[in-house]
Amino acid sequence: MSRTLHFEIFRYNPMDPDSKPHMQTYYLEEKDNMTLFLALNEIRETQDPSLQFDFVCRAAVCGSCAMVINGRPGLACKTKTKDLPDKIVLHPLPVFKLIGDLSVDTGTWFRGVAKKIEAWVHTTKTFDPNALEERMDNDLANEIFELDRCIECGCCIAACGTARMREDFLGAATINKIARFYIDPRDERTDEEYFEVIGTDEGVFGCMGLLGCEDVCPKQIPLQDQLGIMRRKMAIASLGGKVGKLFSVFSKKKK
Amino acid sequence: MQTFYTDMLCIGGGLAGERVAIEAASAGFDCIILSLVPPRRSHSCAAQGGMQAALGNCAMGEGDSPDVHFEDTVKGSDWGCDQEVARLFVDTAPIVMRELAFWGVPWNRVVPGPAVYFKGGQKFEVYEKEEKAGLITARAFGGTAKWRTCYTSDGTGHSVLYTMDCKALEVGVEVHDRVEALSLIHDGENCLGVVARCLRTGELRVYFAKTVLIATGGYGRIYKHTTNAVINQGTGLILALDTGIVPLGNMEAVQFHPTGIVPTDILVTEGCRGDGGTLLDKNEYRFMPDYEPEKAELASRDVVSRRMTEHIRKGFGVKSPYGEHLWLDIRHLGEKHITTKLREVYDICMNFLGINPIHELIPVRPTQHYSMGGVRTNKDGAAYGLKGLFAAGEAACWDLHGFNRLGGNSLAETVVAGKIVGEKIVEFLKGYEVNIKTSYATAEVKKQKERIEKLKNSSGGENVYKLRNEMQEIMMEKVGIFRNEKDLQEAVDSLRTLLDRSKKLSLASNGIGANPELAEALRLPGMIKVALCIAYGALQRKESRGAHYREDYPYRNDKEWLKRTLATWKQGDDLPTLEYEPASKVFHLPPGDRGYGEGKVIPSDEDEKSGDNK
Amino acid sequence: MSVDTTVESFKGHRLAGWLDWLQMLTGLTLVCFLFAHMLFVGSVLLGAKSFDFVAAFFERTYLAQVGGPILFFLFLLHGFLGARKMPFRTKEQKLIVRHAKMMHHRDTWFWVIQAITGAILLVIASIHMWTVLSDLPITAAKGAHELETGLWLIFYLLLIIVGALHGCIGLYRIGVKWGVVTRAKRTKALKCIYYLIGVYVVVELLNLLRFYFLKV
Repeated sequence: MSRTLHFEIFRYNPMDPDSKPHMQTYYLEEKDNMTLFLALNEIRETQDPSLQFDFVCRAAVCGSCAMVINGRPGLACKTKTKDLPDKIVLHPLPVFKLIGDLSVDTGTWFRGVAKKIEAWVHTTKTFDPNALEERMDNDLANEIFELDRCIECGCCIAACGTARMREDFLGAATINKIARFYIDPRDERTDEEYFEVIGTDEGVFGCMGLLGCEDVCPKQIPLQDQLGIMRRKMAIASLGGKVGKLFSVFSKKKK
Repeated sequence: MQTFYTDMLCIGGGLAGERVAIEAASAGFDCIILSLVPPRRSHSCAAQGGMQAALGNCAMGEGDSPDVHFEDTVKGSDWGCDQEVARLFVDTAPIVMRELAFWGVPWNRVVPGPAVYFKGGQKFEVYEKEEKAGLITARAFGGTAKWRTCYTSDGTGHSVLYTMDCKALEVGVEVHDRVEALSLIHDGENCLGVVARCLRTGELRVYFAKTVLIATGGYGRIYKHTTNAVINQGTGLILALDTGIVPLGNMEAVQFHPTGIVPTDILVTEGCRGDGGTLLDKNEYRFMPDYEPEKAELASRDVVSRRMTEHIRKGFGVKSPYGEHLWLDIRHLGEKHITTKLREVYDICMNFLGINPIHELIPVRPTQHYSMGGVRTNKDGAAYGLKGLFAAGEAACWDLHGFNRLGGNSLAETVVAGKIVGEKIVEFLKGYEVNIKTSYATAEVKKQKERIEKLKNSSGGENVYKLRNEMQEIMMEKVGIFRNEKDLQEAVDSLRTLLDRSKKLSLASNGIGANPELAEALRLPGMIKVALCIAYGALQRKESRGAHYREDYPYRNDKEWLKRTLATWKQGDDLPTLEYEPASKVFHLPPGDRGYGEGKVIPSDEDEKSGDNK
Repeated sequence: MSVDTTVESFKGHRLAGWLDWLQMLTGLTLVCFLFAHMLFVGSVLLGAKSFDFVAAFFERTYLAQVGGPILFFLFLLHGFLGARKMPFRTKEQKLIVRHAKMMHHRDTWFWVIQAITGAILLVIASIHMWTVLSDLPITAAKGAHELETGLWLIFYLLLIIVGALHGCIGLYRIGVKWGVVTRAKRTKALKCIYYLIGVYVVVELLNLLRFYFLKV
């Protein structure tokens, strides 16, 4: 099977005054079961030790290695070279701040939005170390976990037309995160309080339904469905007053 | 130069580091986390299995108690653990699990009514009680008498880490990610902070802190095959070692996991075997019951790993271009079980192997997995040797695990130790003042600057990746699952040569900014030192205990070796200095048989008196 | 810890939600009208007389005189609401096109198409509505007469295609955005949308040809 892979990789080191953004070419012999994780490391170790990219778990659970692979945002660690053509073009994720070459600062971005939406369980209770835990239906626990599976790799943000045009758009991962707290009975925030956080054009109403997020999500999180559900809930909350009450039968949060 | 000042500085943003930080921040202290990566990308997120805590809610956990958990833990450690610590741990674990539930972890819960489980490939039915409905449930893990591993589907580490990071955000823990601590600032008595390097810009920074916590996780990457993330290079251990004062404990205790996939060494969870997955050889014959009739695939990790290696050595391994391996079979668990409860495993097989575990066998081999050793601390988490320095989690040798850690105990340790050590740090900080002399920082910064300049301008000609690969191969081949005098001596000799050669490292690139080659070159000499601590400690320990298995000394020797190795590195030396201390101050459970049907024991004199304590 | 929210600030923020409702509802109304329009005009296929009969019905009941301007208003409102989401600055426009090219992604292209067709519609549908509504009554003869100049033929061809694309893709995206078209239903929904576009274009083309060859 052996073929020679032709890599075109975006290069730019913002810390180096002599560095200009450009595409650099590398050639590499393909091996069995090669992933972009193995390929990029081999390039770094044998051809160009200055090449910057991020890997941590190399098992698609930490979300570090998202990059644009032949035009599509995806996780490099779980991309097998055998699924790619001979020519592989790699760019850093757009939207996020570039650190160098293929490395971008997704961490700061996600921490920023988590702060904005106050992504933690809001409760007035205090923990009692001597009490039994509050009971929860196992199905609900699974449902929460399903939304909690997001690894914040940033693919959905980079694939989102809105996020690229509007810097302040919260993006699918963030709205999904809100959905996770929304269905969690431990979080005591009301519909109105959630509305305050995402009932804006930077939040759910900013989504234009391009579905880039849905189609690139490496964890297949049901982003499309969650965006729809949250838009409906928030739209109903926005009606407020009597009209809102009429609809609220359909949107009552499990408490 | 950027200089920061804080009450507590946490090196490492995984579960242990964050849990400690939350405790300190909640008590009103300023707290900064330094992390190589954004905290949510820490290796804690990769833990799939679960956390052990004796809640006793599920049917198979009925009758469980901290006492039973204690016994399992001590036996698992092969009596190498600190029993005071183990006691503290098992008593606190249930509270911490409930606290996590309170913070938002979606633990799987008890579903009342009949439930079908698999164990050792056999299907059996139990009845979950109505009164336990909705409480935190548990699954089976190797080496435990009861089912007590709390889990969230197969993403326990991920969910707990995300919940933890949310909590940290709420209580105002400050995070400086992509920052690497290069060395500790200390005056020989007190720890005063660290000199760090920003991995975005390459610039050096100074952090002054009243207390410093090392929570950098394991050092798996000094081995060629490891399930650890690529950032697990033992950076925190290097910090401690470089002080010349702070000892590392039991570095020779290295755990291998039975089921790393071939060739990428990604771990597939013990949950596979817990739920009834079986191990097969080249004839697709299930061999574990022959070696371990009672526990079979569910014997503790060191035993299963060793039996697998033994079976491969007997010629029953499956040959492949990447070396020999065995098969893991989970096909009989069925599509629904595999795609829900073991979905991460399913994804790993599909994504990284192109194998469908519903219909096909998974190639596995034992792979370096966990470091029981680490920065030696007392039961409060305070490191030996320097006031104000603490450690927690895998980076620490708190010593809950002794010579072998039970599955599910390490992930639980991160949060349980995190809570306990966090509380102790808060106690320590209350009213604590230390004189910070800036000259110590200036000297340390100068030293680091010189190192960096030397690497950039050196013409020594040694390549960092080549040297690293050599180290990894030595460790894998000679300091692996089966150890003996000859191999270990060779390993020590070659590692000393490597350490010497590492002085001649020079960069092939310009080293400007966030240069990855420079970062690696700065770590490598320290990594070789850590490797030497392991190899030299293993060479000196002339017995077999838990995961440390000497072919030439196959018995556990309680008479001479019921003790813990402490390794310090004196400046200018090319070998660590080893000292020893008793394994435990108290023995609630006197040394006895592990009950895994393997190995003989040379009892200590006292042990003979204490009688049968199985 | 919980979020402190005052009633006042909350009310101020509701606007985004209201506008989103309006955008969806006006869009939905316009799509309905689009297809109703297709059917009304389709009466010409049965002959000029039946077309005139339908037209006269709308005028007799004042639906044309009152409904027409209301529709025109809804149309402008929808255009205004839509424009809030559109890339206005050249930098943004370049970005979205570059993004669509990078992604090779159908739904992203759909949106680009919708943005472009929306902008075109705002101009040409306005002209169409103005010419029709400012010169009541509507008769088949007028329509046929208009088409005698070739320019109008091209105008209507464009209007049909642009209208079909904008309306049908818009309908699909309303479904997606509001969670009616879920992940499970997406493939099916897309198929329906393709059929809808096809049906609309074919019927309206037939209508157009009928007018073109209409001898009054």
